[in-house]
Amino acid sequence: MVSQQPATRCEPNTGNYTAMPETPSKELADALSAVADKRDKQAFAYLFAYFSPKIKRFGIKQFNSDAQAMELVQETLTSVWRKAHLYNNDKGAATTWVYTVMRNASFDMLRKMKSNKEEHISEDIWPLVEQHANSDYEFSDHLETQQIKNYLDKLPQAQRDVVKGVYFQDMSQEQLAEQLNIPVGTVKSRLRLALQKLRNEMGDRHD
Amino acid sequence: MIKHHPSDALLAQYCNASLPASLSVAVAIHLEMCECCHAKVKRLEAQNAELIFAQPQSAIDEELSADAMSLLAAITENDDVDDVYEVQPQTVAITKQYSYQLPRALARIPHSKFMQLGKISRSRIGLEDGALRSSLLHIAAGGEIPEHTHTGFELTLLLDGEFSDEEGDYVAGDFMWLDGRHQHTPITKDGCLCYTVVSSALHFNKGLSKLLNPIGSLIY
Repeated sequence: MVSQQPATRCEPNTGNYTAMPETPSKELADALSAVADKRDKQAFAYLFAYFSPKIKRFGIKQFNSDAQAMELVQETLTSVWRKAHLYNNDKGAATTWVYTVMRNASFDMLRKMKSNKEEHISEDIWPLVEQHANSDYEFSDHLETQQIKNYLDKLPQAQRDVVKGVYFQDMSQEQLAEQLNIPVGTVKSRLRLALQKLRNEMGDRHD
Repeated sequence: MIKHHPSDALLAQYCNASLPASLSVAVAIHLEMCECCHAKVKRLEAQNAELIFAQPQSAIDEELSADAMSLLAAITENDDVDDVYEVQPQTVAITKQYSYQLPRALARIPHSKFMQLGKISRSRIGLEDGALRSSLLHIAAGGEIPEHTHTGFELTLLLDGEFSDEEGDYVAGDFMWLDGRHQHTPITKDGCLCYTVVSSALHFNKGLSKLLNPIGSLIY
C-alpha cells in the first residue's frame, strides 16, 4: 500500500495544457457535438474508428485479456454514443472526455471482477457532469424568465425549439418529438445540451 | 482555508484509477471542496488522455475488423441517450442536535446506522475494499479521541465542523494522512463529521488490546 504524505499546500499548475497539434482535436470535438446534436452516425463511425484500436490497446494492458479489452471498447464507446450530450467542449478536449469515460468504465469492470457486484460507483468518484451546489432548472421570477429568453436567442435554432416546447409550451418530450418529427432521444439530447449551455451562460453572469 | 491536500502522487493515482475505491472517494470529496486540486486533476486527465489517444489525422487508416463493424452497428442501432446524472443531496442526522449534508460522492453509497459510544459515533461505509475500511465518524462538541498511534495508516477528511490536535486546527476539506510516525489526540469544540479510511489489518488485532480498547474497535 502507498504511504503518501499529504501536501500542506496546493500549488496550482501554471500555463494551459493544450493537446499536441497533430491530434485532430477539432475534428474529434465536432464529431462529438454532431453525435450529441444530431445523433450523427457517420460522425460516430469516425470516433469509433479513431478510438476503438487505442482503447483496445489500453484494455489489453489493463486486463491482460483480449476479451476484456473488447468489453472495455464496447462499454466505453456505448457510453460515448449515449452520453455525448454531456461533453462540453469549453471544458476540455474530446480526447480528455473520452479518456474519463474509458477510465470510469475500466474501474467499474475491475471492481466487478473483484467483488462480483454491479455497483457502478465510478460516477460517484469521477462525476461526468459537473454539478453545482445550486443547480436547478426552475425559473423563479419574471425578470429571470426575461433574461432566460435573451439567452435562449443565442442558442442554435434546433435547441431553442426544444427548450421552448418543453418549458414554455409545457409539451412532453414525446409530443415534441412527434411534432418536430425527430426521435425522442434527439429531443432529450438537444434539451440537455441547451440547458447545459444556458446554465453556463447564466453561471458566468451570476458569478 | 484548507491547508492539507492529497499529495501529487495520490492525485495521479486517483486520475488513472489505480487508487483503492475508498481512497478514491476521499479524493473525490476533497476535490468538491478544493478548486486548486480539482484543476490539477483536470490537467492530469488531459495529459493521460494525450498519452493514450494522441495520433495525427494522417495515421488513421486502420481497417475495422468485421467484429468492430458489427459492434459499431449494434451501438448506433439504439438511439436512446443516458439521462444526466444529477445526485440528490443526502442529509445524515446523527442525533437530534447534529445533522449534516453529505458530499456528493457519498450521496449514493450506502452506510450503516450510527453506533455511539459517548461523544463518538461511527457509521460504516458500504464499500468493499480489501483491507481498507471507510467510515463516517462524528465527534460531538467537546469530544475527543483518546491518544492513539497508527500501525497502518489512517486517512481523515474533515467534512464539516472543526477539530484540532497537537499540530493545529483543521477545517472542512482538510485531507490528513497519518501513519505510524504520528501520534495525536483530536479534539473538537463544536462537533465535527469526518470521512475516515483505515487499513484495518494491523489495527488492534490482538484480542487483549481490543478488549482494553473498546473505542478502538468502534472507530476502526
